[in-house]
Amino acid sequence: MPFNFRDILDSFKVPGEEIDHIISHLESQYPNGSDPYGLDLKRAKNVLSILYPIYHKYFKVRVFGKENLQDSAYIVASNHSGQIAIDAMLICLAFVLEMDKPRVLRPLVERFVPAIPFIGQLFAEGGAVLGDRENCQRLLKQGESVLVFPEGVRGIAKNHEDYYKLQRFTKGFIRQALQSGKEVLPVAVVGAEEFYPYVQHSRKLAKLLNAPAFPLTPTMLLGPLGLLPMPSPVDIYIGKPYQLPSDIKPEASDSEIAPHLDNIVEQIKDMILEGRKKRRPFWANKPLEED
Amino acid sequence: MSKKKIKNVLIIGIAGGLAKITATLLTKSHPDIKIIGIDSRRLDFQPSSPNITLIQAKYTRTNFENIFREHEFDTVIHLGRTSHTSSNPLGSLAKRLDLNVIGTQRILDLCLKYEVKRVLILSTFHVYGAFADNPIFLKEDAQLRADFKHPEIRDVVEMDQVSSNWMWKNQDLIKTVILRPCNIIGPSINNAITTYLTSSISPVPLDYNPMFQFLHEFDIANLIVSGINKMKTGIYNVAPNDYISIRDAKKLVGKGGIPMSVFLLENAAQFLKKAWLDGPNYLIDYIKYPCLLDNSALKQMCPEFRFRFDSKDALGFLKD
Repeated sequence: MPFNFRDILDSFKVPGEEIDHIISHLESQYPNGSDPYGLDLKRAKNVLSILYPIYHKYFKVRVFGKENLQDSAYIVASNHSGQIAIDAMLICLAFVLEMDKPRVLRPLVERFVPAIPFIGQLFAEGGAVLGDRENCQRLLKQGESVLVFPEGVRGIAKNHEDYYKLQRFTKGFIRQALQSGKEVLPVAVVGAEEFYPYVQHSRKLAKLLNAPAFPLTPTMLLGPLGLLPMPSPVDIYIGKPYQLPSDIKPEASDSEIAPHLDNIVEQIKDMILEGRKKRRPFWANKPLEED
Repeated sequence: MSKKKIKNVLIIGIAGGLAKITATLLTKSHPDIKIIGIDSRRLDFQPSSPNITLIQAKYTRTNFENIFREHEFDTVIHLGRTSHTSSNPLGSLAKRLDLNVIGTQRILDLCLKYEVKRVLILSTFHVYGAFADNPIFLKEDAQLRADFKHPEIRDVVEMDQVSSNWMWKNQDLIKTVILRPCNIIGPSINNAITTYLTSSISPVPLDYNPMFQFLHEFDIANLIVSGINKMKTGIYNVAPNDYISIRDAKKLVGKGGIPMSVFLLENAAQFLKKAWLDGPNYLIDYIKYPCLLDNSALKQMCPEFRFRFDSKDALGFLKD
């Protein structure tokens, strides 16, 4: 097949009409085009135009289980992987680009994120919100869905031999669900682990730089280019919403909450396993038998 | 006890723009009222009504008590908190601590001693502090963290704490209301945020864009006048329902400012402070991180009260 540069360029073209349609739908939800958390639809539109080809053509994202999503507010709980929070960005994009009714999914970010110059602002303009209990409850109350990664930094900052091994889930999101009465929507992301196929973490360097983690990967030898994530195809699985029993109080003991946490973790584990069996070939895929 | 008619009022800080508006509104809503307006600053203006008497005095001095002795105040409105502004000659921390903390404690003790019926103290939203990890809307029970990072603002936090401790201790004897308003702006107000907004050389953050709430001077004065008899003892955040980003606020006022990275500015603050309109260091944090107020307690307490101006309307008054 002859090489055609125009075809490659065309494949990265952004469908302006589709973006306009999405933004006009979102404007009906946010009539001011903004909200007090810093969401800015004007700026989000520009960013969306840049991310659209990255989502569709670079990471070739597929979404399964869209039918499980109703027009309701959820606590979306996902596994966390990929060294940097690209998985969060892809899940949020899936909720905007792939759903019949586009919606801004609000990722709850670590406390240090809003303090980072430019980055904190960029995240906020795209919908990210400081991971604070009050913020979470307020958003759920006003009918917005929030995205949480109960594994936290432990999940995203793993050595490559631990890829696809779920780390311990914290219980905070269950208590938030109990307090708000909202369902938990389990989500699994498959493919993000291979963004950086060979990674070892240096705890000493992280401590020295006062950073939450410090991943080392051989591609770093290539300089800034080596920091680019690999184009590993990503599959996002949306599970069935999990409704917690109404007779459990948010202040319930850990032992009362634990069985429900286990159920949600199992659901995510099953989706990851299914996803890894069905995933598209990529040179860096971690084989199932290596687990 | 507290629903009795307002007859004799002491307004502290009468030289300030807000106090003048409050006094005028009080004389209009209570024609028989007698107001004593006191301030340690020079009082070179005529009161708006013959019912208002002006006294220049320092309320940390002994003779201040004579004013309480001679007038049977039923209401004391404390608007005399001094803040850091370029026009304020009492701007040094030691003097502000003396007036804001020691002075407030003295005023409150005299209120108790002379059996004042109701006290209103104007604090500020600055007490919460602007932090990256603030919840988006701060409630009245949020921690007062302003002085964690900026010791020069500790007088404001201490004044609020002194007032709230005193309020709860004496809640059965005297009705006390503490208001924590968001940024108050208006033609009569000369504070740091007004200077910032109306200056064409103030820095506009490129790397942060926090949301702000603005309150028009008339609305806060109106709330004080209409709410002083209605509000129960407690602390109330005062803010309109809307919000606006700092960049949009600058645009709306029509003063461009100088776009720059606040991250870099913060590190150069000690140097730039001198060139930059003598702005307080802590203000840099307030143009960097959000410090929005949850106004639900006020709405619950005064359901009929309506702000005449929202944040955008209030900013409109700062245009040339």
